[in-house]
Amino acid sequence: MRESGIRSLWALCALGALPLACAANEGSVDRKVNADPKGEVLISNVSGTIDVRGWDRNEIQVTGQLDEDVERVDVETSGGRTVIKVILPRGGHDGGDAMLEVQVPSGSSVEVSAVSADVSSKGVTGTQRLKSVSGEITAEVSGDDSEVRSVSGDITVHGNGKPGSLRVSSVSGSLDLTNGAGKLDVVTVSGDARVHMGDSSEINARTTSGEFELHARLLKDARVSVEGVSGDLTLDLGNSAGLALEIESFSGDISGCLADGKVEQVSKYGPGTRLNSRTGDGSARVRAKTLSGDIEICDR
Amino acid sequence: MTTRRVKDLAELPRDIPPARDLWPAIAEAIRADLAMKAVPDSRRRVGWWPAVGLAASVALVAVGVFIGKNFKQDQDQALAAIHTAAPDNDAGMIKASLRQAEYEKQRDQLWTEVQAKLNTMPPAEREKVGASLATLKKSIKDIEDALGRDPANALLQELLVNSSQEEMRVLTTVRDSGRQEL
Repeated sequence: MRESGIRSLWALCALGALPLACAANEGSVDRKVNADPKGEVLISNVSGTIDVRGWDRNEIQVTGQLDEDVERVDVETSGGRTVIKVILPRGGHDGGDAMLEVQVPSGSSVEVSAVSADVSSKGVTGTQRLKSVSGEITAEVSGDDSEVRSVSGDITVHGNGKPGSLRVSSVSGSLDLTNGAGKLDVVTVSGDARVHMGDSSEINARTTSGEFELHARLLKDARVSVEGVSGDLTLDLGNSAGLALEIESFSGDISGCLADGKVEQVSKYGPGTRLNSRTGDGSARVRAKTLSGDIEICDR
Repeated sequence: MTTRRVKDLAELPRDIPPARDLWPAIAEAIRADLAMKAVPDSRRRVGWWPAVGLAASVALVAVGVFIGKNFKQDQDQALAAIHTAAPDNDAGMIKASLRQAEYEKQRDQLWTEVQAKLNTMPPAEREKVGASLATLKKSIKDIEDALGRDPANALLQELLVNSSQEEMRVLTTVRDSGRQEL
């Protein structure tokens, strides 16, 4: 049915009867629309790539190459909201790569939804919500209340070092976050996570079996909560005011380089180790707990 | 009742008598311990309390998951609510059992839907995500096993509640992944 539809289309093209359709089917897209400098941009693409770039124009430009299995790319804008959507033929969810480059006003809020498409973002200062199932996500994130999520794709996020709120999660992909600041939530199941934060007020992290590594400079009154099941946790925390530590593992080891840290057995008869310690005024509170993972903590 | 400001530690009483006589309970515990030691190792049974403890812990999880799922409270609040709602009588246990049954039904349903979703994924991705889900499932089993041996362990209870909530969240994420929301 679909094949015959395509044949008919090519026949019409050959006859010169359907020039617009033929242009749209040439395998590329190039659209430009006016946009609000702080508007909302929503992009969806199943497969291929989505590269979002912030620029200093009040326009959105969509360019890219389209697989022959891609039907078209819709670009609709209304009331400060622009929707860019790669349309596949009905039932065609498995193929159809679209390699999109989308340039948006830098202050835009951007929401990207992908399945296997890789997502990258650069130069956007508004809030970003980037989601992919199996594609990799590489993003520069500076907008407050941003979120990056994947199921099996790896995630690489680079912050701008200014305080904001960021949520990053993956099921089996790995996470690599650098230059973050402010508030952070990280969740993985089996993917490893490596996080480098500047001045941080709140960090919540959870991993099941992945290894979690956190380097952060904690602000006074900061709160850190890290939980693992079998994954090892490494916490490298700097704080000039002082830390109040509550570290516990059911059957893993606790070690590190704390000046006042003394690890004690939870029970005389059963497994478990605990470290409750306080440095300075103890204004930054740190909790870390695991079932069987090891915990290594340093405050220098 | 009169109050007086204490200016020195020496003014405080050296002993504070308990509100009730604790000795009968202590003596009973010692007698039970001695009786247990008198039984030969081969006849010594682990007893029923770990199973009850585990059941109670699982019930706590059921309540915790529902609190977490339905009311989206943060973890500390959820834990506080769970402890408040802990079954300490028959009616409480029945309610917890019902919540647990409902939770297990929803969880099983989610697993079925996720399995269907996995079947639509490319093999490499299916394997990767499937392995993560298996890890999650095994981690919960490991915590439950540990709780079976140490039912009163607060750390294990907290890990079980959080892991079970995480399981529901991850299953929902995988089930809904790839849905075109625009």
